[in-house]
Amino acid sequence: MQTVMNLLLQESPPNTDAYMVAGYIVIFGVMLIYLVSLVIRQRSLSKDLELLEDLESGKK
Amino acid sequence: MEDQSLPLAKTRPETRVRNGAAFFSAVRAVIWKDLAAELRSREVLSAMLVFSLLVILIFNFALELDAATRSTVTAGVLWVTFAFAGTLGLNRSMAMEKDRGCLDGLLLAPVDRSAIYFGKAIGNLIFMFIVELIVLPVYSILYNTNLFNPGLLLVIVLGSIGYVAVGTLLASMAVQTRTRDILLPILLFPITIPIFVGAVKASTAFLQAFPMAEIWPYLNLLIVYDVIFTAVAYMIFDFVVEE
Amino acid sequence: METKPRLLTIIDTIAVILMIIATGMVFFYAPTEAVMGNAQKVFYFHVATAWVGMLSFIVAAIAGIAYLRSSDRKWDRLGLASVEIGIAFIFIATVTGSIWAKPIWNTWWTWDPRLTTVTIMELIYLAYMMLRSGIEDPDRRARFGAVYAIIGAISVPLTFFSARLYRTIHPVVIGSGDPSAQGTFDMTPRMLQTFMFSLVTFSVIFVSLLWHRVRLGKLAEKVEQLKLKVMA
Repeated sequence: MQTVMNLLLQESPPNTDAYMVAGYIVIFGVMLIYLVSLVIRQRSLSKDLELLEDLESGKK
Repeated sequence: MEDQSLPLAKTRPETRVRNGAAFFSAVRAVIWKDLAAELRSREVLSAMLVFSLLVILIFNFALELDAATRSTVTAGVLWVTFAFAGTLGLNRSMAMEKDRGCLDGLLLAPVDRSAIYFGKAIGNLIFMFIVELIVLPVYSILYNTNLFNPGLLLVIVLGSIGYVAVGTLLASMAVQTRTRDILLPILLFPITIPIFVGAVKASTAFLQAFPMAEIWPYLNLLIVYDVIFTAVAYMIFDFVVEE
Repeated sequence: METKPRLLTIIDTIAVILMIIATGMVFFYAPTEAVMGNAQKVFYFHVATAWVGMLSFIVAAIAGIAYLRSSDRKWDRLGLASVEIGIAFIFIATVTGSIWAKPIWNTWWTWDPRLTTVTIMELIYLAYMMLRSGIEDPDRRARFGAVYAIIGAISVPLTFFSARLYRTIHPVVIGSGDPSAQGTFDMTPRMLQTFMFSLVTFSVIFVSLLWHRVRLGKLAEKVEQLKLKVMA
């Protein structure tokens, strides 16, 4: 009896886990996309730089 | 390298005539130039007016402006109309300067550049007032509402000042870009949100005869906006036209 | 490419470590809020990303003023970097705000002052990017960017104030708020610690990203100049 009462009276927070998961997917997802975009841009620029430096030294 | 991008710092002392009379005559000259050009061609004002009437017409069908709706949405319809017509006028007035090379001529003139800013801004403001003065009675007749409320006129004056103060500055940037015609509203609208909040709320409050205590916060917002942005635009305009 | 400065490596390392600890604190240290459940945990990083957005706006405006005063291109790189990071973080703040709003206020979107202001900030940032992309001359691009960053930053407090003239339902978490605001909760010490720790973490991440983005901008400029040289 006591345990049943306890169970009934016990206030448990509503289950909103899905929102938490969605929120953190957005947070980490967007940050990751931004980081990747930085890396990709960095790489392609470095490649361009190398190519241009080659071209320039070839011209001389 | 640094020197060439800083011609202003050098030219400032001699061009910046702090002599009030010269400054005001320069402002007046710029305003008269715009008004005279407009009197001859009438292209800006007629475009703004026809456009405003079309916007009101479209709203009529979009919102079913019956008596009950009208009391709450009139201010919103009016301000959207003014904002759209305003961008049209601002864009046109700056694009004209750019295309006919007037701006370069003006910049060469030995006047303080902020005089050019105030001249253009006041000219744009006059155009906006003319449009508003025609739209108000037309709206009153079409929808049988009396809009001649001194409070509403005050709000329109305050709102237009802020809108034109920022608009003139941003329009002179927008016309110098590749995407000039579409850029101005995108630059201008997010910055002028406080004006629309204040103006629409205050206009509705005046039209529905709310007590002044409820209207003051919105009027204060508009006044603060006008003062801050007129001052900032005045300080910053030099950098926008500097070549 | 110049070698990566030692200090930047240190900042990067600290940022990663802090991020791991902060994530751990959010999920394992901070208690579950009694009324809202686990969705409340979004709050820690939601506020932190919004904070980074504000920070980026301030940095962009200061860089704008510095550029107009000095015409030194490094300020332009800083301003652009700051705006770009701001776009990413304000986007996170807006979307997570929306996700949090759904279970708490039972709506995906409300015209709450903070949410509205943050969204308008994002629009100002996007306008800034569009303005820049329409200008070829780098000097003019830098100058106009600086002007718009300053104007935008000045308008933000006014936008917030104007949006606030409407009634707010946003939870006022710090300080005494409107008790009728739904979703308000008292922070336990553990929550407060996690919250503060998240703010610090994201500030460090901001510094690290900003530095990387500025370096990227420098590299891009170098490539641009070299291109002109080779083409000539």
